[in-house]
Amino acid sequence: MIKNYFKIAWRNMVKNKGYSAINIGGLAVGMAVAMLIGLWVHDELTYDRYHQNYDRIAQVMQHANFNGKVETQVSNPALMGPELRDKYGSNFKYVIQSSWTGGHLLSIGDKHISKVGNFFEPDAPDMLTLKMLKGTRAGLKDPYSIMMSASAAESLFGKEDPINKTIKLDRSFDVKVTGVYEDLPDNTSFREIKIMMPWELWLIQNPWAKQMNEPWGSNFSQTFVQIADNTDMASVSAKIKNTKLNNVSKEEAKYQWAVFLHPMGKWNLYNEFRNGVNTGGNIRYVWLFGIIGIFVLLLACINFMNLATARSEKRAREVGIRKAIGSMRWQLIRQFFAESYLVVILAFVLSLILVVLLLPLFNEVAGKKIAIPWQNPIFWTFSLVFILITGLLSGSYPALYLSSFQPLKVLKGTFRVGRFASVPRKVLVVLQFTVSVMLIIGTIIVYQQIQYAKDRPIGYTRNGLINLGMEKEIREHYETVRTELKNSGAIEEMAASNSPLTQVWNTNGGFEWEGKDPNLAVDFPNNRVSYEFGKTVNWKIKEGRDFSRDYATDSAAFIINESAAKFLGFKNPVGTVLKWNNQPFTIIGVVNDIMQESPFYPVRPTLYHIGEYENMYNLILRLNPQKNAKQSLTSIEQLLKKYTPSVPFDYKFVDEEFGGKFRAEERIGKLSSYFAILAVLISCLGLFGMASFVAEQRTKEIGIRKVLGASVINLWQLLSKEFVLLVVFSCIIAVPIAWYYLSNWLTNYDYRITISWQVFALAAAAALIITIVTVSFQAIKAAIANPVKSLRTE
Amino acid sequence: MLELKGIYKWVNTGNNRVFLLKDVDLSVQPGEFISIMGPSGSGKSTLLNVIGMLDTFDQGEYNFLHEPVHKLKEKQRSSLYKQYIGFVFQAYHLIDELTVYENIETPLIYQDIKTSERKAMVADVLDRFQIVGKKDLFPTQLSGGQQQLVGIARALIARPKLLLADEPTGNLNSKQGEEIMGLFKQLNDEGMTIIQVTHSEKNAAYGSRIINLLDGMVAR
Repeated sequence: MIKNYFKIAWRNMVKNKGYSAINIGGLAVGMAVAMLIGLWVHDELTYDRYHQNYDRIAQVMQHANFNGKVETQVSNPALMGPELRDKYGSNFKYVIQSSWTGGHLLSIGDKHISKVGNFFEPDAPDMLTLKMLKGTRAGLKDPYSIMMSASAAESLFGKEDPINKTIKLDRSFDVKVTGVYEDLPDNTSFREIKIMMPWELWLIQNPWAKQMNEPWGSNFSQTFVQIADNTDMASVSAKIKNTKLNNVSKEEAKYQWAVFLHPMGKWNLYNEFRNGVNTGGNIRYVWLFGIIGIFVLLLACINFMNLATARSEKRAREVGIRKAIGSMRWQLIRQFFAESYLVVILAFVLSLILVVLLLPLFNEVAGKKIAIPWQNPIFWTFSLVFILITGLLSGSYPALYLSSFQPLKVLKGTFRVGRFASVPRKVLVVLQFTVSVMLIIGTIIVYQQIQYAKDRPIGYTRNGLINLGMEKEIREHYETVRTELKNSGAIEEMAASNSPLTQVWNTNGGFEWEGKDPNLAVDFPNNRVSYEFGKTVNWKIKEGRDFSRDYATDSAAFIINESAAKFLGFKNPVGTVLKWNNQPFTIIGVVNDIMQESPFYPVRPTLYHIGEYENMYNLILRLNPQKNAKQSLTSIEQLLKKYTPSVPFDYKFVDEEFGGKFRAEERIGKLSSYFAILAVLISCLGLFGMASFVAEQRTKEIGIRKVLGASVINLWQLLSKEFVLLVVFSCIIAVPIAWYYLSNWLTNYDYRITISWQVFALAAAAALIITIVTVSFQAIKAAIANPVKSLRTE
Repeated sequence: MLELKGIYKWVNTGNNRVFLLKDVDLSVQPGEFISIMGPSGSGKSTLLNVIGMLDTFDQGEYNFLHEPVHKLKEKQRSSLYKQYIGFVFQAYHLIDELTVYENIETPLIYQDIKTSERKAMVADVLDRFQIVGKKDLFPTQLSGGQQQLVGIARALIARPKLLLADEPTGNLNSKQGEEIMGLFKQLNDEGMTIIQVTHSEKNAAYGSRIINLLDGMVAR
């Protein structure tokens, strides 16, 4: 019987090629979207699952109360790890103090390669359950050792065995390779780390870390833990709350430091804290895209239902005959389900092909490295369930509806699809366009928000600025290098700075000034810069003057930004004295706010002061606009190589770094725009199919009207009106929902657009135009047909 | 074989009740060949549909092979119908997407008959109606007479006890019509009970008894 069903289904499909193409194509696109989103969601949800103990691993983080506002940070004092081990040792399996992830230069002879890595305490490979390819996980016990990922090992040693080979690290320490591990997969938080060195080596490399007056007051490292097997995250987190508060000075205690554990399972999806509360993060997008995926699939299923029921009059006779020759209703239901499953299976095959073709593009847009898990039985089980559900979704309505026809009426020819038979179909069209319009609105608003933040004044001129790390040799010969570079004509100006232009690396407390509220806790971004910093980045002095080599006193001077001026509350900030750790600094100027951090949040009160070159790590160069940038870069490289021959010329355009701040939002924007296009496409396919059936159904009516003198325009209106009304109705539903959802989304950003009504008008207009174009094709075709022909078909 | 007693069927339009069938009594013995005649709108087809259980009635008793049809539930009625009644339509009503073979086979599928058995039964019927050569053609490739032949073959495939035909020759030319009526006669001679609706005196003459209907009533 099944064979028979499929045979008929197949013949029906071949007979109505256009209809089948719309049906299968639309469904395949919907399924492909759902599948891509499914893969993406799976990837997000399984983040960090590579580490076997991911559910027991956590990062130690801190809340600090700054004048009533709770800020959350991952950085910890270097003593955090040892303290946790001492006081709460039984609660932890591993406690690991760690540096920040950053690039390090590895040299073997003349070969110099920069690799990203971290300094960890020796238990890290065990905690992260690294898969060792060579050596053991105990490779970080000796301070002068290094472990590397397979890819790093290959780029350094090729096919040679790296174990026990000696490498020079950062041009200063000889370290021995003690282990090679499988590269961490892309969906892990530590994916960038290709080399691991012992934390002890970091302490040797940075002796100041052990020589601090107040080691608990400075946060410059990270702490990771794996809790003991017999305990749970929440209780350990509660126990260690005061670890820092118990150790800090009275002044620091103002911040009410509260230590807590942030479990690894939440690093990726719940990484945002607002006022001390974990408010989510990427999970938002998992939900958003998950819902979109389901909706797009639903749209495709709706198409299927719509087209199938629109064809009901054509199929009605068959139903009548079948019933008259003895078919039970359930047998017909089965037949129609067989048809829908045939379409669904074909669509699934097609969608798999689509996914294979689209995956590289999708990965690029989404910033992922997702592969189709062909060999995973779960994937196939999931696909099977997916097919079952889709078939059920798309096939149930036509099956139940078509099988309900009364055979006698159908066969007598008195059967008419009733006035209300088209109501469900209309509801489905409205639903489709509601989703499409919502996606269009969402896309526009996400882009507006990105553009708004991009157009925000940044306080300096980005064009032609490059940023690169400053090596010891350059720091030592700073003035000479500057003169040489300027003389070469490659650059206009050069400056040194503690932080790169697009980040804040250093904040400080310990400031006093006249009239300060004694309870006020302050923590300012505090950037150490060279004299020409302002000139190089082209900042705008609002009051006072820029730093100058002509004033000896400028070594104890601050230039503050506008936000700082506001925060400090001075009427005339220029000339006022600010005490920093009891040293007097005079404010000599106020500059426009320079946006170094997120473009979506206010610029923090920031200080700039002149410092020694030894303590500055960034070189900022403004290329000479009169010269070809490529040539300039080559001459800069040549010049720097004179001093640091083994260091790769690794520069970044500030413009690009700045662009990177929008990556997450741009990703959302791009994805939602693609999804919007697909949703509209699917809806249009459905509309096109519907319009063609309506036109066909009304052929006789159109013929009669034409004979009575209706013009093409009249008929076009007649046929299009209904659809236009449906789409208008969709817009009315979509607008408030979209408005609600998007205003919610925008509250994530302090610096945000206000949603204007024009966006909604635009989206509605777009939907209407698309509708009219789609429907008109069929309407006009029907309207210009020869009436004699259409009447003769009776 | 079957017996109708005081069958009424009506529709209400506004305050009026229009009777489609009015106090119809009819008793059919096995092996009869009955022709129902009457002008258009006299209720011929309605009566046939009531007998064929495709349509319901509002009042009266209907016993089919000693089963009280008026007391049966929809499901029981259709299984009764499926088992004992074959239907032939004026407009043939073949399924265009199926071949001749498949069209004939379909009722058997609905009766859950095994494939091998189905094959034998269809082959038998094809042979008997001499349409073996056409078994892989689609209905649209056949003439009207041939289509009706397939329609009859389909009605007979499940070996019903009663064959109902609603103007089986209505869409055919006279020569094709004669052939079909000849076939009916032959079937009746073999013992099949047949009830047909017809306009034509000539066709009615093939039957053993004629029922005349007028305004829903049997003319006596």
